[in-house]
Amino acid sequence: MDPMFRWLETSAFSTWTRESTSVFAYPTFLSAHAIGMGLAVGVCVAVAFHRLGWLPGVPGHELRRWSFVLWFGVLLNAASGVLLLIAYPTKALTNPVFYLKLACIAVGLWLYRAMDRRLEPTTVLDARAGVEGAWPDRSALRRVAVGSLVSWAAAITAGRLLAYTYRRLFVDF
Amino acid sequence: MAVFQIWLASVLYVPAVAEVMRMAFVWPLAESVHFIGLSLLVGTVVLFDLRLLGIARGIPAAAWHRLIRYGLIGFALNAATGLLFLMTEPDQYIYNPSFMLKMAFIATAGLNALSFYFSVGPRLLAPGVPLDAPRTAKVIAAASLTLWMCVIIAGRLLTFYRPFDCAPGEATGLVLLCVPGKPQ
Repeated sequence: MDPMFRWLETSAFSTWTRESTSVFAYPTFLSAHAIGMGLAVGVCVAVAFHRLGWLPGVPGHELRRWSFVLWFGVLLNAASGVLLLIAYPTKALTNPVFYLKLACIAVGLWLYRAMDRRLEPTTVLDARAGVEGAWPDRSALRRVAVGSLVSWAAAITAGRLLAYTYRRLFVDF
Repeated sequence: MAVFQIWLASVLYVPAVAEVMRMAFVWPLAESVHFIGLSLLVGTVVLFDLRLLGIARGIPAAAWHRLIRYGLIGFALNAATGLLFLMTEPDQYIYNPSFMLKMAFIATAGLNALSFYFSVGPRLLAPGVPLDAPRTAKVIAAASLTLWMCVIIAGRLLTFYRPFDCAPGEATGLVLLCVPGKPQ
């Protein structure tokens, strides 16, 4: 892998991202990453809170309208994440915590899809949404919601720990 | 300004807190909690703002407004962890122009939120109100969205404007220079 890391690190774009004093280089990518995180996690938290019964009066099927915010956030994170990765490929790709972060994000998105599917059927269930026990297998839904919240918290924590747990910053040192 | 900042740094620095924060992985974990709070706060506020701007009109604003109380929990997490950072490394923040901007954006966002609750908020959050928010609410929501994005950006820029070369009490002002001639 080292030749690939070296090739990436010495590329003009990687060097510019790391060394440029422009606010539009690394700082912009980091900011976009944080904004994407807020958007994606915000939607997942809202849906999870709804499944936990903490948002009474909110029709379940209407939550579907927020999925574009989630996917916009995920897209923003993926794009900015790739740019940050190009800046420091060795630092991220040789750190197991990076893969833990990706796994937590994958689990978080998978659990979101699981919660999203449970929003069907809309009309009948929404009419009964305020009634405890009206949802089929409500305890399972709650477990999925808690799992979603835990996975996103773990993804954020792993993301922050990346700055402190890397063993190699660049390919040569 | 310089005298005030030096005084503020000395007041904010709490050696006992700094000692704990400098233990292995305490600072990174506090940062993680700060980011979890950020996601909770910004995520919920943005979703409520977008609702006021006309997305998902089928959700009653009053019911969706419950999100804000969870956002306030996020804000409490951020305030608590932010205070820990300040009490550990005051120089890294109070001489940092990005930190000053961040605080200004948070204060403005707070005032903007208050303007909502003192104008259209009570009417909009009452049961049985129309699903479309009035223009005033939309303006406030758009301002809120912009301000919270600015808070995030200023927060991320903190790292790039730190007065790295100064010892505690040496850096001053927006120019991020060490105080000339200050006795060591």
